[in-house]
Amino acid sequence: MGHRKYELYSMDWDLKEELRDCLVAAAPYGGPIALLRNPWRKEKAASVRPVLEIYSASGMPLASLLWKSGPVVSLGWSAEEELLCVQEDGVVLVYGLHGDFRRHFSMGNEVLQNRVLDARIFHTEFGSGVAILTGAHRFTLSANVGDLKLRRMPEVPGLQSAPSCWTTLCQDRVAHILLAVGPDLYLLDHAACSSVTPPGLAPGVSSFLQMAVSFTYRHLALFTDTGYIWMGTASLKEKLCEFNCNIRAPPKQMVWCSRPRSKERAVVVAWERRLMVVGDAPESIQFVLDEDSYLVPELDGVRIFSRSTHEFLHEVPVASEEIFKIASMAPGALLLEAQKEYEKESQKADEYLREIQELGQLTQAVQQCIEAAGHEHRPDMQKSLLRAASFGKCFLDRFPPDSFVRMCQDLRVLNAVRDYHIGIPLTYSQYKQLTIQVLLDRLVLRRLYPLAIQICEYLRLPEVQGVSRILAHWACYKVQQKDVSDEDVARAINQKLGDTPGVSYSDIAARAYGCGRTELAIKLLEYEPRSGEQVPLLLKMKRSKLALSKAIESGDTDLVFTVLLHLKNELNRGDFFMTLRNQPMALSLYRQFCKYQELETLKDLYNQDDNHQELGSFHIRASYAAEERIEGRVAALQTAADAFYKAKNEFAAKATEDQMRLLRLQRRLEDELGGRFLDLSLHDTVTTLILGGHNKRAEQLARDFRIPDKRLWWLKLTALADLEDWEELEKFSKSKKSPIGYLPFVEICMKQHNKYEAKKYTSRVGPEQKVKALLLVGDVAQAADVAIEHRNEAELSLVLSHCTGATDGATADKIQRARAQAQKK
Amino acid sequence: MAFPHRPDAPELPDFSMLKRLARDQLIYLLEQLPGKKDLFIEADLMSPLDRIANVSILKQHEVDKLYKVESKPAVSSSEQLCFLVRPRIKNMRYIANLVNADKLAGRTRKYKVIFSPQKFYACEMVLEEEGIYGDVSCDEWAFSLLPLDVDLLSMELPEFFRDYFLEGDQRWINTVAQALHLLSTLYGPFPNCYGIGRCAKMSYELWRKLEDEEDGETKGRRPEIGHIFLLDRDMDFVTALCSQVVYEGLVDDTFRIKCGSVDFGPEVTSSDKSLKVLLNAEDKNGRALLLCCRYTGEAGRYKLQFCVRRRGMDIKQMKNFVSQELKGLKQEHRLLSLHIGACESIMKKKTKQDFQELIKTEHALLEGFNIRESTSYIEEHIDRQVSPIESLRLMCLLSITENGLIPKDYRSLKTQYLQSYGPEHLLTFSNLRRAGLLTEQAPGDTLTAVESKVSKLVTDKAAGKITDAFSSLAKRSNFRAISKKLNLIPRVDGEYDLKVPRDMAYVFSGAYVPLSCRIIEQVLERRSWQGLDEVVRLLNCSELAFTDMTKEDKASSESLRLILVVFLGGCTFSEISALRFLGREKGYRFIFLTTAVTNSARLMEAMSEVKA
Repeated sequence: MGHRKYELYSMDWDLKEELRDCLVAAAPYGGPIALLRNPWRKEKAASVRPVLEIYSASGMPLASLLWKSGPVVSLGWSAEEELLCVQEDGVVLVYGLHGDFRRHFSMGNEVLQNRVLDARIFHTEFGSGVAILTGAHRFTLSANVGDLKLRRMPEVPGLQSAPSCWTTLCQDRVAHILLAVGPDLYLLDHAACSSVTPPGLAPGVSSFLQMAVSFTYRHLALFTDTGYIWMGTASLKEKLCEFNCNIRAPPKQMVWCSRPRSKERAVVVAWERRLMVVGDAPESIQFVLDEDSYLVPELDGVRIFSRSTHEFLHEVPVASEEIFKIASMAPGALLLEAQKEYEKESQKADEYLREIQELGQLTQAVQQCIEAAGHEHRPDMQKSLLRAASFGKCFLDRFPPDSFVRMCQDLRVLNAVRDYHIGIPLTYSQYKQLTIQVLLDRLVLRRLYPLAIQICEYLRLPEVQGVSRILAHWACYKVQQKDVSDEDVARAINQKLGDTPGVSYSDIAARAYGCGRTELAIKLLEYEPRSGEQVPLLLKMKRSKLALSKAIESGDTDLVFTVLLHLKNELNRGDFFMTLRNQPMALSLYRQFCKYQELETLKDLYNQDDNHQELGSFHIRASYAAEERIEGRVAALQTAADAFYKAKNEFAAKATEDQMRLLRLQRRLEDELGGRFLDLSLHDTVTTLILGGHNKRAEQLARDFRIPDKRLWWLKLTALADLEDWEELEKFSKSKKSPIGYLPFVEICMKQHNKYEAKKYTSRVGPEQKVKALLLVGDVAQAADVAIEHRNEAELSLVLSHCTGATDGATADKIQRARAQAQKK
Repeated sequence: MAFPHRPDAPELPDFSMLKRLARDQLIYLLEQLPGKKDLFIEADLMSPLDRIANVSILKQHEVDKLYKVESKPAVSSSEQLCFLVRPRIKNMRYIANLVNADKLAGRTRKYKVIFSPQKFYACEMVLEEEGIYGDVSCDEWAFSLLPLDVDLLSMELPEFFRDYFLEGDQRWINTVAQALHLLSTLYGPFPNCYGIGRCAKMSYELWRKLEDEEDGETKGRRPEIGHIFLLDRDMDFVTALCSQVVYEGLVDDTFRIKCGSVDFGPEVTSSDKSLKVLLNAEDKNGRALLLCCRYTGEAGRYKLQFCVRRRGMDIKQMKNFVSQELKGLKQEHRLLSLHIGACESIMKKKTKQDFQELIKTEHALLEGFNIRESTSYIEEHIDRQVSPIESLRLMCLLSITENGLIPKDYRSLKTQYLQSYGPEHLLTFSNLRRAGLLTEQAPGDTLTAVESKVSKLVTDKAAGKITDAFSSLAKRSNFRAISKKLNLIPRVDGEYDLKVPRDMAYVFSGAYVPLSCRIIEQVLERRSWQGLDEVVRLLNCSELAFTDMTKEDKASSESLRLILVVFLGGCTFSEISALRFLGREKGYRFIFLTTAVTNSARLMEAMSEVKA
C-alpha cells in the first residue's frame, strides 16, 4: 500500500491557542479554515469573548470578528464557501468568506426547545445540508440550506442517551442518518428507523466509538471499542476489509483516504499524537504527530494541518508509483532516466530510449510522465517530468500534442493558485472535479480579480464566460466601497469595463441600488448601452420620468407602455398628463390605447392640453358613433362647435353648426315626408327631395344652405335624368343660362341612351365643346363641319378618329381635304 | 420580358427561405397545442397565411375547423381554440368575449393566442383587464416578411401608414428593425446604407442597435446585398397619389391586388364566377406568362392616348405573340385569357373621356400650369359626386404640388366636399392636415426661416412641444422647387414612344419621373447625399438624411449591384416598375421591401373617417 505525505505550507498564522481549544472547520477543495476561539467560555468579559477567525489554507488571515451571538455548537462550510455556524438554540448564522454576515435561519421549534447537542454540515449533490441532534436525542435535518426544508427524523425506539457516534449518509439522493448506540446500529430515513448490522463484523463489540463516510458517500468505516476497524460499503451490504489496531482509546478523528477509481481502501485514524493509515494490508502506516492536528477529508486524500504545518496525505497515484518506485523498469521511469542522461550528454540516454522503443512503449512512457507531472506538488518535479515527456515525444511520429499542452496549462494555473498568498492547495484531480469555472468563482469570492483575469486570458476563455464575468463581479464589489465617492466609483468601473462584451451595467447598478446607492446606480446606468435594460431598475428606484425618457430612447414601444402604466399608478392624473405632454411619442402611444380602451381619458387628455381642435373632433365622432338620440347628437355637435371656436377654427365650427341645422331639418323631413333623410349629406338630401318630387323643398334647402349654382345644376340634372323626367329637364334647362354649360345635358341624356333628348341640347353647347357634343350624339358629319370651321387640328383628329367604316368615308375625305388646304395656307 | 435584363445583372438572393422559415415556425407553434384544435384567423392575415401554409398543411397539424375573426361570435365545439391575430386591441376584445362567454357557461377549454408579427404589451394589458390573461397562452409568430415576387418583400402591414404618419405611433418601427435584422442574418450585412426620413432614421438606428447587441453573427459574413436604402413615404406623397398606368398598377387601382393575387370578377372572367389569380408566378412558365402580361400592360397604357382606335390591333398583336411564344403552354392560355379580359375591362373603364380629363388634370398639376382650371375640374368632380376617394386624392395632389391650397380654395373645396360626401369628413380633413397631405398656404415668404427652425425641432427626439399646426407647417412640400431641382418633368420633344422607354417617367406616360425613385437614383449615383443638400433641405430633412458605409470592402462587385429599397409606409407598383427599369438601364437589381403595397386609394382610405 503506497501512501505519501508532503508539506503544502508552513502555516503563517500566529495561533495563540491550541487547535483543541477551538471549534474548527475547514472547507474541502483546499478551502478556507474557520476557527472559533473560546467557544465554551460563558463569561461575559470582552477579553474572553469568543472570536471567529477565518484563514486561507496557507494561514493567511481573511477575517476576524468578535462573536456576539449565542453559543456555537458546530461550524461548517457550505459548497459555496459560506460559513454556517450552528448555535445551541438551533439558529444557523451564515457568514461570507470575509466574515461578512449574510443571513440566518432557524432549524425549527423542536430544536429551539431541546437545544442542539451536536450538528454536522454535509454536502450532497443538491447543495449543503445541516443535520442536528437535539437534547431529546432526535434528529432534524435539511438537505439543502439554500432551499430550506426541515425534516424531522423518526424516533429511535428506546434511546435514552446520546448515541456514541453518528453520521449522515446519502443514498439514492436521500439523506439518511446512521447512529450507534452501544452494540447496535440504527439507520434513520424519512419514514422509519431500522436496525442494521454490518456483514462480517468481528464479535465482541460492545460499542462503536467513531464512524467515517467517504467523500463520495460510497464507503463506511466503523471504529469499535475493541480497537477493531470495519470497512465496507455505505449501504452496509458488503464488507471490504477489516483491521485490528489494538488501540482502544477513542480516536479524535477518522477519515477515508482514497482516490477516485482506485482499488485501494484506506482510512486515516488520528489520536492525540499518532496518525495511522490502515487498509486491507496487514500492516498499517504510522506517523507521529508532533502537534495537535486536524484532518480534512478531500476527494483524493486527506489534508492535515496543525499550528505550524499543513500537509497532504494521499495514496501514491499509479503513474507516480511506477516512475518513482525504486529500480522501476516501467517505461515512464526509463524515459525520465533517459532524459536525465541526455542532459548529461551521456550515451546511456540512447540505451534507455532504445529499451523503451524495443518494447514499443514510448507512447505509454510519455503519457505516464505527463500524468505523473500532474500529481506532483513541487514545480521542479513537474518540470523534470514534463521535460522527459517532451523529450520522449520527439521520437514519436504521431503523438497528439494536446494532452501535453493542456497539462502544462493546468499546472501553471494550479501552481498559481497554490501559491502561498493565494492559498488554494488544489490537487490535479480536485481541480478537474471542481472545473475552471468554479475555481474562477472561488478566486472572485476571495476578491482575487487580477489573478482570475490573468487565468482567463491565459486559458483564452471566451470573454463572456471569463474576463467579462470577473470584471462584472469586481464592479459589484467596487460599488460596495462606501468610502469612495459615487463619481469615482462610476468612473473607475467604466475605465476598467469600457465596452467589454457581456458586461451588464444594469446588473452592477442593481447591486449599487441594493447597497442603497441610488445616485451611483443612476450614474452606472448611463453607461448601459441598451436603454431597455435601464428601464426596469429605474422604475424600481422610483425614477419613473427618467425611465420614461430611456424607454423612449430605446424605441421599444412596449417598454414605453410599461413605464406609462407604472406612471399612471404612481402619479396623480394631472401630473401624469403633464408628463405625457412633454413626451409626444409616449403621448401618441397612450392616445392610441385610449382610443380603443378608455375614451373618457382621451377627452381628459385633450382637455388638459387645451387641444380644442382634437376635442372638437372627439365630439364630432361622438355625435355619430356614441350618441343615438337626435338631441344627444345635436348637443355633441354643439360642444364640438364650441371647441372649434376656441381652437380658432371657424371653418370647422361653421361646418358643424350647418350640420346641426341639417340634422334638425332632416329629422323634420322624416317626420313630415317619411322616408330616410338622417345622415345623408346635404347633396344627397336635396337629391332625395327632388327624386321624391318635392322640388319646392329642394329649392328652399338649397337657398338655406347656400348651395352654389353649379352644384345645384349638376344635382338637378342628374336627379331629373335618373327620373327620366325629360320634360322637367328641358324646363329646367331653359330656366336660366346654365352655369355648367350644356354639354353635361348631352352627356347625361346619352348615358340614359336617349339620343332624341340629347340632340335637343347640342345646339346650345358652347362652340369649344360643340364638336364633342356632336360626336356624342353620333353626328360625325356635322362635327366635321364645325371642326373645319374652327380650323382646329386637335378637333379634326378627334373627329377623324370617330370616322368608322364606309358610312363616314365621305366625312373623312372632307377632313383630309380641309387639312390639306390648311397646310397650303 | 419586354425589356430583358442586361446579361451582367446580378442574381437575386433566394427569398423563398423566408417562407420556409415562417412555415416551420407556424407549425412549431401549432404543435405547441397538441391535439385537435379550431383555428380563428384574422381576416387581414388570411391571404398572407395562404401564401405560407395552405389548408392541407394546417390540417396535417391537427387544425380542425377554420374561422374568421369578425364581429359576430363563432360557434366552435372544439376543446382547443387557437387564435391567429394581429396585435390589435379590437381582437383582444373579441377573444375576451369568447372566453368570458365560456366561463359563464361553465365551460373550460384551452386557448392560445398567436400574435403576428409580434405581441404588444397593450394587448396583454387588455387581456388582463378583461380578466382572462391567466386563461390564454400567448405566443408570437415572427412572420414579418412575405415574398410576393422574386424581388418584392411585403410586411403586409397596411396600418403602418396610418399608425405612424397620422397617429405618430411608433410601435411598428421595432418590427421593421427586426425584419431588417432577419435579412442581414440570412443574407449577410449591408455594407452601404442610405436613408431619408424620420422613420427611416429611427428604424435604421434601432436595427443597428439590434445588430450590435447580437454581435458576431453577421460579422465576417460576405454581404450578398451591397446597398440598403430606407425611405419614408412622406418624402414623396405625390407619386403615390398619381393614377397608375403601368399594368400591375392599373390592375391594382382597378381590381385591388391583395397579397399578390387579384380577384377577377364576372366582367373579366366572362362567366358568372369570380376567379382568384396570382399576379406573379415563380416558376418558369409563370415567368413567360408575366412577360406577356407586362407586354399587354405596355400596350394598355399606350392606349390611354389612342385607345379606341388601336385596341383591336394590340390585342391581336398580343394574341399573335401568345401563339408564337407560348406554344405548347396550353394551361397558360386560360390564365392569359383572364388577363386579356382584365385589360379589356380596364380599357372600358379608363378610355372614357373622364379618364383622359383626369390624367390631363393630373399632368397639369404635376407640371404646375393651368392651376385655376384644375381647381375647377376638382370642384366639378366633387359637385358631381364622382367618387369620394378620387376627389380627396385630387385635392391632396393639388395641395402638395402647390405647397398648400390658397385659403379661398381651401375653404370652398372643403365646403363642397362636406356637402357632397357628408359632414364626418371634417375629421378626414383634420387627419389630412395633420399628415401634411392637405394644407392651407401660409401667407408670405418669411416662412422659410421659421420652417428651418421648426424642422430642427422636429428632428430632436426629446423636443415635443410642437403643436399640430407647427408640425404640419414644417411639412411644406416644396414640390415645385424639388421638381425643378431634380428635373422630374422631362422635356419631351415630340411623342414619347412608350414602347421604347427612355427614363423612369415611362411609368407615368412620360410625364413625370417618380420623386422617390429619382432620389434613390441620385444617391446611388453619388454613393452619398453629397451635392443634394438643397433637395434634402427642401424635403425638410436636413437632419434626417444619412449615409453609412463600412470601410472593409468584402463585398463582391456582384453584390454591390444589388440594392434593397425599404419603403416605410408602402410603395406603389409604379415605383417598383420605375426602379426595375432603372435597374435594367444601369445593370443593378433592386429588391423591394415595403410595409405594404399601396396606391392612392389605400392612402386616402387610411386617412378617411368612415361612419362605423
